[in-house]
Amino acid sequence: MHTLNHLFRKLFNSQQSGLVIVILIIGVVLSFFAGFHVDHLTGQKINNFINAYTLMQTGTDASFFAIMAIGMTLVVISGGIDLSVGSIYALSGIAMAMFLRSAGALSPVATVTIGLSISLGVGLLCGLINGVMITGLKVHPFIITLGTMWVFRGIAFVASKAESILVPDALTSVAKADFLGLAIYPVPMLIMLAVTALGALYLAGTVMGRHIYAVGGNAEASRYAGLRVNRILVGVYVVSGLTAGIAAFVGSSYYGSASCADATGYELYVIAAAVVGGASLSGGRGSAPSAMLGAILIVLIRQSIRTLHLDQNYEWIIIGCAIIVAVVFDRLNARLTAKRLLTESARARSEEREA
Amino acid sequence: MENIHPIIRFEGIGKRFPGVQALRGVNLEIRRGTCHALIGENGAGKSTLGKILAGLYQPDEGRLILDGRAVGFRSPRDAFLAGIGIVHQELAFCENLSVAENLCLGSLPAKRGFICRRSMKAMAEQTLAVIDASLNVETVMAELSMGQQQLVQIAGALAGGARIIVFDEPTSSLSQVEARRLFKLVKSLPARGITSIYISHRLEEIFELCDNITVLRDGCVVATKQASAVSEKELAAMMIGRSLDAYYPRRTTGSGGKTELLRVKNLSSPGKFSSISFSVNAGEIVGLAGLVGSGRTEVALALFGLDQQASGDVLINADKTLITSPGEAMRHRIGLVPEDRKRCGLILSMNARENISLAILEKTATFGWVRRKKENELAQTYFDRLRVCAPHVNALAASLSGGNQQKLVVARWLAADCRLLIMDEPTRGVDVGAKAEIHGIIDHMARSESGILLISSELPEVINLSDRVLVMRNGRLAGELPRKQASQGAILKLMAGVAA
Repeated sequence: MHTLNHLFRKLFNSQQSGLVIVILIIGVVLSFFAGFHVDHLTGQKINNFINAYTLMQTGTDASFFAIMAIGMTLVVISGGIDLSVGSIYALSGIAMAMFLRSAGALSPVATVTIGLSISLGVGLLCGLINGVMITGLKVHPFIITLGTMWVFRGIAFVASKAESILVPDALTSVAKADFLGLAIYPVPMLIMLAVTALGALYLAGTVMGRHIYAVGGNAEASRYAGLRVNRILVGVYVVSGLTAGIAAFVGSSYYGSASCADATGYELYVIAAAVVGGASLSGGRGSAPSAMLGAILIVLIRQSIRTLHLDQNYEWIIIGCAIIVAVVFDRLNARLTAKRLLTESARARSEEREA
Repeated sequence: MENIHPIIRFEGIGKRFPGVQALRGVNLEIRRGTCHALIGENGAGKSTLGKILAGLYQPDEGRLILDGRAVGFRSPRDAFLAGIGIVHQELAFCENLSVAENLCLGSLPAKRGFICRRSMKAMAEQTLAVIDASLNVETVMAELSMGQQQLVQIAGALAGGARIIVFDEPTSSLSQVEARRLFKLVKSLPARGITSIYISHRLEEIFELCDNITVLRDGCVVATKQASAVSEKELAAMMIGRSLDAYYPRRTTGSGGKTELLRVKNLSSPGKFSSISFSVNAGEIVGLAGLVGSGRTEVALALFGLDQQASGDVLINADKTLITSPGEAMRHRIGLVPEDRKRCGLILSMNARENISLAILEKTATFGWVRRKKENELAQTYFDRLRVCAPHVNALAASLSGGNQQKLVVARWLAADCRLLIMDEPTRGVDVGAKAEIHGIIDHMARSESGILLISSELPEVINLSDRVLVMRNGRLAGELPRKQASQGAILKLMAGVAA
């Protein structure tokens, strides 16, 4: 028990364990109220929430948000915002699908390699455009990415002529690989975990990661400490575009098609996930695992509306309230922590004086 | 005489903040029509006491007696209505609004809900006339200097019928000229029957302005003295609770090495400064004096690669170099401790370790990965060496006092192994104890063969630490004084442009 507690502490900080607890509570409550249905083939009673299909569906939905939320977290820590991720998703997916359609028949390995490089490449390029415009033109990221949000989606729309484009089966068989033939498709979730782990390592372990926190905390002081602030800022938008490209590759492959209307409105879910995960829109604060948990929490709340057969029209109201409540609680917690730290150092000061 | 009864009496005032007893059992009387100084180190409780009087804080215990009657202010507005105003640099205005709008904010003249601009302007001009300040009342607040903003604050307080004005560290961000103007105004207040309470840790100005001085330490009153009956040294000793060997110890060394670290030839930047030439040797402290706005800070920024318009020759170790970015300056082992610590020096949302290691992180990393053990060791070393007072090296920078925050910035450059450190106002807003420590650090750096370019508005600091003093005036080098000739008078003459 002790080691389990230790492991838990090592894996999650207090803010993250708060999110895990909330997610578990919602899960338990949901399974309790979800009711049962009887499987026609086996005649077994099955919980409407705790069953392979629903859990997998929830996890898969969360994956796409979470992958992008990792990139968004970097942007938010740096003090910026990226409204264009949903559009980058659509453009990357369309670009990949159109190229593969025109390329004709290819070997499965070539299809996956080309598909991956195109969707990631387009995502990266879009991010680069955002970053260079934000730092070069010195315009607030909200404005630049609001503009590119429409521009990127517009390009996807024009290029695809608003058609939905099928992607080759080779991609689907990778993204929707069946786990032991149980009709469980874990690839999106595995990629979510991988991207989260990479994001967490990047932020906590690398110089670049530390520099992102520094720039978000105080860009001017970072410049005075010799940091190349513009390069760091371009970097975070590139990573944000890249994660949108990854999500597009997994998403389009998983569902078997790409459309210019894909991921419409996702940017707000993604920003919400990062913020529910404790990232501060004023910069300097945030973490990758928390953003993933934030995405899971939001999708879970959405799922509970469906499972409990509440009126679908209430979805937005409930999600909106949940986001506000989550952030208010998080800030309260942060304020208490700050107060505790202040008290500690004040005590140290008075002890020093007495000594 | 009405002077027999004090205008204000604090009786057993106590105030707790989470984790600290800011004030305990403070008894103090302030006489009508005097200028009364409250002095003490940072954290001594002097500002807290001023803020209690101005209604910004409420005492936990004790009574406040105003004109013989106990009063309890629940807000600054209560205090204002009772005739108490405060001049406080952080109690800011709406910077986006004009002087007139700010002065009339409490009671904007309006007709049917629309603001009457003409009467607002007249009201504001009348208010400013009280202190003979000539300002365009339609100027946006943000465009005024700190000194002008203070004048507006004082005018606002006087026009509101203030009988008592609390000045909380009023000169900490004023230029000398602005400070002189403020002093003149403060000196004129007793004649108008106004009592001033002057909170500061600058002893020179207290002797100039105040009749009585109360020293606070650790939330208690140490003593109240008449200004004429006490010396600066005695006050400093009371403030820190032990006698300082010397308040501003004059450095004993002063030869300076002979190896030239930096030579600047004809450094110019359009509209900021021109034809600046000087050198800094290893082991030498070169003071750079001048009025605020004379171009001192701008020269420092240019040397650190933060002025793209700067032209001229910079020689480092006799090699001609062009420094176009702070990164480049760092490669030449130049560091800068900036003037505005909170805006340019520190990342307040990060902890002490991260702030110390910020400039060196990239160099100590392997393939872009932070080496935590090495980082910890490095940070801990300088954290201990500079005696940063915090619970541990992972304490948030925002939770430290001004002096300790400044130590973090200095530690950053020590960790980065700088050979030339430019320090812009290194002891601004730092208490006496920490100031002495920072002076010790500067001295120690010079002894270990680093070069220091020391910019300061405090002449005693420049004089006592520097081996040579450069004086700037209106963007030009007005003169260079060797250590022996660097007296306060000589420097002031050069600063003001009076022929010596």
